Amino acid sequence: MSHHWISLTLNGETIEAEVPANRLLSDFLRDQLALTGTKRGCETGVCGACSILIDGEVSKSCLSLAVQAHGKTITTVEGLAQGQALHVLQAAFMEHGGLQCGYCTPGFLIAAADLLSRNTSPDDAEIRKALSGNICRCTGYQGIVDAVRAAAENLNGT
Amino acid sequence: MRNLDYLEPESLDEALRMLADYGDEAAVFAGGTALLLAMRQRMLAPGIVVALGGLSALRGIGYTPEAGLRIGALSRHSEIARADIVREHYPVLAKVAAGLANPQVRNQGTIGGNLCYGDPATDPPSVLVALDAELEIAGRSGTRRVAMADFLVDYFTTALEPGEILTAIHLPPVTPGRVGHYKRHLRTPAEHRPVANVALTLTERGGLWDDVRLVIGAATPVAQSMARAAAALTGQAITLDLAAEAARIAAEDLTPVSDARGSAAFRRQVVRATVRRIVAEAAGLDWSEAAA
Ligand SMILES: Cc1cc2nc3c(=O)[nH]c(=O)nc-3n(C[C@H](O)[C@H](O)[C@H](O)COP(=O)(O)OP(=O)(O)OC[C@H]3O[C@@H](n4cnc5c(N)ncnc54)[C@H](O)[C@@H]3O)c2cc1C
Ligand code: FES
Ligand code: FES
Repeated sequence: MSHHWISLTLNGETIEAEVPANRLLSDFLRDQLALTGTKRGCETGVCGACSILIDGEVSKSCLSLAVQAHGKTITTVEGLAQGQALHVLQAAFMEHGGLQCGYCTPGFLIAAADLLSRNTSPDDAEIRKALSGNICRCTGYQGIVDAVRAAAENLNGT
Repeated sequence: MRNLDYLEPESLDEALRMLADYGDEAAVFAGGTALLLAMRQRMLAPGIVVALGGLSALRGIGYTPEAGLRIGALSRHSEIARADIVREHYPVLAKVAAGLANPQVRNQGTIGGNLCYGDPATDPPSVLVALDAELEIAGRSGTRRVAMADFLVDYFTTALEPGEILTAIHLPPVTPGRVGHYKRHLRTPAEHRPVANVALTLTERGGLWDDVRLVIGAATPVAQSMARAAAALTGQAITLDLAAEAARIAAEDLTPVSDARGSAAFRRQVVRATVRRIVAEAAGLDWSEAAA
């Protein structure tokens, strides 16, 4: 099997690592780098628990090989907070009941972060569309949509 | 997943040579969203993947009034959805790309991978047939062009020969009055893949429809052109009754798949309802109050 040296920017830091060709990006993050915020759910591209930003675009890390990350800029849920200060989305999820068990939450935060980076005042339909690649089995979604709307309003100072 | 060699050719020639050298052992790898699933489910087990990421010849989306649109096979769905030239000249294609799967898969999956996999439960094939697309395919002996309708052979089977690479999708230049419409039916809103979809293109002349293409996807093993239903809509004033009649003909002519996501009878009914609605909407009629 081929092994590859990859170099990427991960949560703001440049890292290098050696990966076997068949290692999934989600397994690389969790098992090799111990960044367990990114979850494995369905591992078939449906649930979105494994979502990360690749070059600023929301992507499912279970549908990608680690070697494909070479040269990319990646943000995982661990990269959202600034030190002890929660990301505005994280704070809004807490305040608006955007989670219960929390398993889906990293994926929703990342999908919502992608949305807010492109659209600072999304309406509810746009929020729901942006989150349509993510599944939550607990909240019933309303709290999640409320949280994303509140985060957007917070960013806009409205 | 089994052990794998991941090869990264830097040119189309090099990629074609690798595919020739390794034969059945090797598979082409674009975004990987379909292939990785198939490999993890052990439906496919290539020992070598030839990654196309470094081939600039397969990238980019360009339009000229003479040649029409060229979409590089490595274009991701999200890139097609937001490309200004696609939105301006072929808005129906931009709409399809913006609405298929989910945001993540649109950012990761390529149009080339979508077409070469030959999965019927997808969106682009029907609309590309209705837009008269041609596929540009490279092999060791040169490049050939295949009509989209001929590229789709059967369930998970395309006209690609072993060792060939899809390089681009071409659409003919836009002509005045030509418009496109698209509708997909999901079994539940949470499901990403369509159980049926309908693409409709036509040229409006003096309030009547000419050059009508009505193509069904996802409900059939490969996208199916509905010639009789299209003929019924040609040169006639479109009424709700005519929309219902065309829908009846399309449902009758359909060769539906039957699987866990929908029986043949169910798909036939979905196609019938969807055709009636898309025809009515294209003619500016409100189908919601009328009996089917
Ligand atoms: C959860 C989920 C939901 C989805 N929903 C939809 C949907 O609603 N509608 C829809 O249309 N699609 C849907 N898809 C399918 C998605 O569009 C495809 O998986 C994607 O476009 C495949 O592209 P890829 O680049 O990842 O292909 P890959 O996985 O890299 O390749 C797929 C196949 O094509 C071959 N191949 C790829 N590129 C070439 C080439 N240039 N020349 C020759 N062979 C090539 C590969 O060898 C492989 O056999 C969904 C997928 C997932 C995972
Ligand atoms: S674990 Fe990746 S989409 Fe479910
Ligand atoms: S909070 Fe439990 S799955 Fe979403």
